[in-house]
Amino acid sequence: MAALREENRRLRIVCTALMERVEAGGAPNGAPYAAFERSVLLAEQVRERTDALHRTLDELSQVNARLLAAHADAQAANESKTKFLAAVSHDLLQPLNAARLFASALEAHALPAASQALVGHIGRSLKDVEGLLGTLVDISRLDAGVLHADKAPFAVNTLLDALAEEYRQVAGVRGLSLHYVPSLVWVESDLALLARVVRNFLSNAVRYTEHGHLLLGCRRRRDGLEIMVGDTGPGIPEPQRQAIFLEFRRASQPQANQSRGLGLGLAIVDRISTMLGHPVRLASRLGHGSLFSILVPYADIGEDSAAPSRTSIEWDDDPLQGCVVWVVDDDPAITEGMQALLGSWGCRVRAAATVSALEAASDGERPAVLLVDYHLGDHRENGIDLAARLRRRYPGLAAVVITANHEAAVKRATREAGIHCLLKPLKPLRLKMLLGTLLESR
Amino acid sequence: MITSFTNRGLIAAASREADPQVAAHALAAELCHEHAGFVLFFCSAEYPLDRLADALCQAFGELPVSGCTTAGELTPDGYDRGSIVAISFDRRFFAVETALIDDLDHFDLPVAQPLVDALLERCRRQAVAPVNEHSFALTLLDGLSSREEQVLATLDAALGRIPSFGGSAGDDNHLTHTHVYANGRFHTRAAVVVMMNTRLPFDVFSTHHLEPLEHKLVVTGADRERRRVLELNGVPAAELYAALVGCPVEALAPAVFARHPLAVHLGGQHYVRSIQRVNDDGSLSFYCAVENGIVLTAMQPTPLLDDLARMLQRLEARLGEPAAIIGCDCFLRRMALESLDQLDQASALLRRARVVGFNTYGEQHHGMHVNQTFTGVAFGTLPAL
Repeated sequence: MAALREENRRLRIVCTALMERVEAGGAPNGAPYAAFERSVLLAEQVRERTDALHRTLDELSQVNARLLAAHADAQAANESKTKFLAAVSHDLLQPLNAARLFASALEAHALPAASQALVGHIGRSLKDVEGLLGTLVDISRLDAGVLHADKAPFAVNTLLDALAEEYRQVAGVRGLSLHYVPSLVWVESDLALLARVVRNFLSNAVRYTEHGHLLLGCRRRRDGLEIMVGDTGPGIPEPQRQAIFLEFRRASQPQANQSRGLGLGLAIVDRISTMLGHPVRLASRLGHGSLFSILVPYADIGEDSAAPSRTSIEWDDDPLQGCVVWVVDDDPAITEGMQALLGSWGCRVRAAATVSALEAASDGERPAVLLVDYHLGDHRENGIDLAARLRRRYPGLAAVVITANHEAAVKRATREAGIHCLLKPLKPLRLKMLLGTLLESR
Repeated sequence: MITSFTNRGLIAAASREADPQVAAHALAAELCHEHAGFVLFFCSAEYPLDRLADALCQAFGELPVSGCTTAGELTPDGYDRGSIVAISFDRRFFAVETALIDDLDHFDLPVAQPLVDALLERCRRQAVAPVNEHSFALTLLDGLSSREEQVLATLDAALGRIPSFGGSAGDDNHLTHTHVYANGRFHTRAAVVVMMNTRLPFDVFSTHHLEPLEHKLVVTGADRERRRVLELNGVPAAELYAALVGCPVEALAPAVFARHPLAVHLGGQHYVRSIQRVNDDGSLSFYCAVENGIVLTAMQPTPLLDDLARMLQRLEARLGEPAAIIGCDCFLRRMALESLDQLDQASALLRRARVVGFNTYGEQHHGMHVNQTFTGVAFGTLPAL
């Protein structure tokens, strides 16, 4: 009986201990045995889950790898799109360039009035195509980040004089007057890109202004020179002032006779101003007009060099008359077109694909100016090297490299070599002005 | 006397010299070479540890050294006592990084995770082998700290899929002071984590030779802080255990504990909870955590040598002839072998398998603190990378 009682007592104790244990089982506590038990359970269960997790991670990393590959493909596609556009534009610009040169040369001929008008139309149409093409290429270049600013100090009138001259004529055709206020202030910017911005302002002003006049001028601000283009057009309503800087947007539907452009102009202005770090401003009053401006930093130059160089051309004593101009281009259409254009300005032109062919044709005549294409074929020296070589042979030879390559590197290389650079498509007026300057300074 | 072997960038050597200076320099002469990157040692607790620390610093110089005290050594010759055994790792085959955990009480996951990440990152930088699948962690713990379970559980959580094993430092059965060695000094209440990343094929293993009996004992009184079981089945623990194994309480000693282990049954596996000693109050001290209400299963040994031979065969089948094995062998196994007079046979098996290591006060395997096992890592000779 006593033994049974003892047995009973022990069983009660065992039961109590087990019940305590069972009830404490699920509770998280810091007890050492619990830690051991957890480790065992970890070994049984969590390890399985960890493995499942690792399998999932492996799958994810495979998916990730596929996504990376897809991303690389997309990038490659984007790059090849840019390359394609660059190649297409280059191939299109070449014949367009030739066509423009022929049209210009044709205009110089004495033609019946009707024909003259047709030639004018052809010229303007070609110019529009050229402008559109340039715009598309620029947008793609800006978006691809391949276009880099090549900033240098210059007097702002070297840019604005030419633009004023150009747009005075354009405005005149539309019955508008252009009021230009010249400025001799030196600024620091990429001349070509800044020209593109101001040109866009001016084309827009001409396009949307029915009556009145345009203004091109500058205002000195504390942190830079504000180049302004104003018009007496319809103005831009407040809600549209942001939107017009996006692609394919126009403030109002243009008239039938001015349905040019894709609405890309201000989108380019926006991209270029961001790239150059020059803020663009727009002020407008409905029914009164708009004022677009870009703020360009002053050039950091000494007083000596601050003296502006005048680029106005003295037409009375035409330096182009009878001067010897050599043209090197591997495209026969271009050499022919240049011959026609330069010939119409009174130059004595020798044009060929190679220097040896030129020298053979020149009868020992010394050239005054060399116009050379930058890209002379895949296995030949480039235009800059050729110009440098000829300048060593003919000291004092002025050289101009013409290129469809809009990259800053080419421009910089020409500048460093002391050679001038003109971009395709070649603007006859700009070429004429440059030739005038080069020949005058000899 | 020095015994040694060399294989696959691993050099093992042992010395029985009692003088720390002589022993340390004898080992350094064997182990140091221009590509040596790390040295692991296990020494008898009989050495004057301060002098040994100085001697090791002097002998090995800049070479990182980690280790711990033992309850017996496994040298290239087999079981030994009163000696120091060491193994050096060639940095062309092994990237080894170590960390000392000297605050075991506050070793939580926020501490453990950065520690493990830093070890792995440092291994990764040595570019010996990919860290995934080619790394394991070796832990050396103060065997009397009573913090093994928490530290291991935390460390294991931080290690994730990286296998880990290790041993608790011993002190030749004195049960007074066990030490781990890192950063040029011996430490108590501390742990050393050795992260090894290797080009050699390896396998982390654990085996024991015990099987369950019918008897179940319920812990009805426990002092978890001191790892003591006061009562089993409502009776003073020592009394009940003595009755179970059929000997008087006064005769309870390590050799009896080794022959009659107790284990907990968890998740289909038996985990031995080894008894350390009988206390005057009739309670039993354990080498691992205990808790009120846990159910202990009486275990009995099967032939230890057979189990050991099978284990070594399995490793050789998987990895080829072993380049070396680092073994953590419970000191109770050694006692069992001694009482059966099988120590020499076991030594022969271990020698052939190139085992070096030590007799522990507990082994660690995948975050679990276990007893009476042979746990370790085997390095193979088959090409892995």
